[in-house]
Amino acid sequence: MKERISALMDDEIDADGADHLFKALKSDAELAGRWSTYHMIGDVMRGEAPLSADFSRKLMAQIDNEPTVLAPRKSSHHAHSFLMTAVASVAAVMFVSWMVLQQQAHSPSGDIAPTVAINSVSPESVNSYVVAHQNTFAGAGIQAAYYVRPVALSENGN
Amino acid sequence: MRKFLRACLCCVMFSPTLGHAAAFEEDPWLMLEKAGQAAHKLSYKGIFVYQSGHTVGNIQITHMNYPQGEFARVVSLDGAPREVLRQGNEAVIYSPQNEKVMIEKRRVQSSFPALLPGLSDMLKASYQAKLVGQERVGGRDGLVIQLLPRDHLRYGYRFSVDREFGLLLKSVMLNERNEALEQFAFSQLTLMPNTGMDWFHPNVERGKSYVMQPEENVVPNRAEGDGWKINHLPSGFVKIDQVSRVMPGKTVPVNQMIFSDGIASVSLFVETLEKGAVPKTGQLVQGAANIYANVIDGYQLIVVGEVPEAVVKQIGESVSFKK
Repeated sequence: MKERISALMDDEIDADGADHLFKALKSDAELAGRWSTYHMIGDVMRGEAPLSADFSRKLMAQIDNEPTVLAPRKSSHHAHSFLMTAVASVAAVMFVSWMVLQQQAHSPSGDIAPTVAINSVSPESVNSYVVAHQNTFAGAGIQAAYYVRPVALSENGN
Repeated sequence: MRKFLRACLCCVMFSPTLGHAAAFEEDPWLMLEKAGQAAHKLSYKGIFVYQSGHTVGNIQITHMNYPQGEFARVVSLDGAPREVLRQGNEAVIYSPQNEKVMIEKRRVQSSFPALLPGLSDMLKASYQAKLVGQERVGGRDGLVIQLLPRDHLRYGYRFSVDREFGLLLKSVMLNERNEALEQFAFSQLTLMPNTGMDWFHPNVERGKSYVMQPEENVVPNRAEGDGWKINHLPSGFVKIDQVSRVMPGKTVPVNQMIFSDGIASVSLFVETLEKGAVPKTGQLVQGAANIYANVIDGYQLIVVGEVPEAVVKQIGESVSFKK
């Protein structure tokens, strides 16, 4: 079941084919909790804003509107397991956020910013400087740039 | 205590790579130092792959250490058949262009597999060296050493050193996300007996006329430019040289300052913004190099370096001019 929820979330299963899943979600509070956990993890991983509370409410409303034949009564056991799941979800999201933050902390330049900002520097306009730099310094083997220099760099364009 | 020992034993047993390598070799810094020397002292022939950004090429190298000095012939196997014949630090580059073969004379420093200049304390202050395991490169067994940057102002490196020859087999420059920005790796390597010199000649498109290009016009320039200075260098970087060079299409020589942390390098170019010239501002990535351009008080600044974006920017922004 976990895999199916995950697949649905990643749009691997189309919504029509997922009717039974919605039903199952409605019937199982634990699964419902897991659904939102998966979704939030996915969002955080992709660097998107976490799900709005509104989204979850709409989703639950949709689930409630699903015609149900065999909706089991919510027992105290279910409430308890829902609470546990909620705690686990929060913990999981916090962990993932922490991991994402850790990764971002290692890239001060930022992953999101495009490498080429809006500017007036074209590769051609700085060719001669790049070549001069590479010719000057032996550092980490930059000299090899001689041998496999891209065509644009082999000309003295400026 | 016995428990502790048993735990240690287990660790060693379950990480055979590390345990083995650590028992085998000494200080990783010393291994790198030796690899730098091996590249000059040994005679060898091989093919290595060079990758920088999206550029990839195979390069053949023949390096011989004769009593009269070091000789090397380096040939690009892909694309234009560029060739470099090197004697000590003097190199002659042959590059075919249309109907001619252009010849350029250059002074060069070490290139792969002699990547490592003298390892300084400066380098140790900015990086941590670790022996992390072993890998097979080009059919040779190598020990893997990692240079981990101590801050975010420089990239990391991963080197594989030939267990038997002590020669560098592979060198990878890694960004903060552990992605390879530039790498060299032997796909084939053999030691050579010292034979005659008949291999030491170019083989570039025979029959074409060879044209000697004028030597690079670069003169040392010890003066601090036109009253400009750098205020805050990123930590670990020091100025290692300053030259004034004539650039194509420029009437006035351009000032070039070179900074290094012992392995990574940055060039800062400063020139008067000529009348009618389009000012360059912004940032760009080319292969493993980050480029930053800015105009301050009528001067065009261009910073180029194999360092993170923030570092070229910091250097570019720390230049000030006396008014």
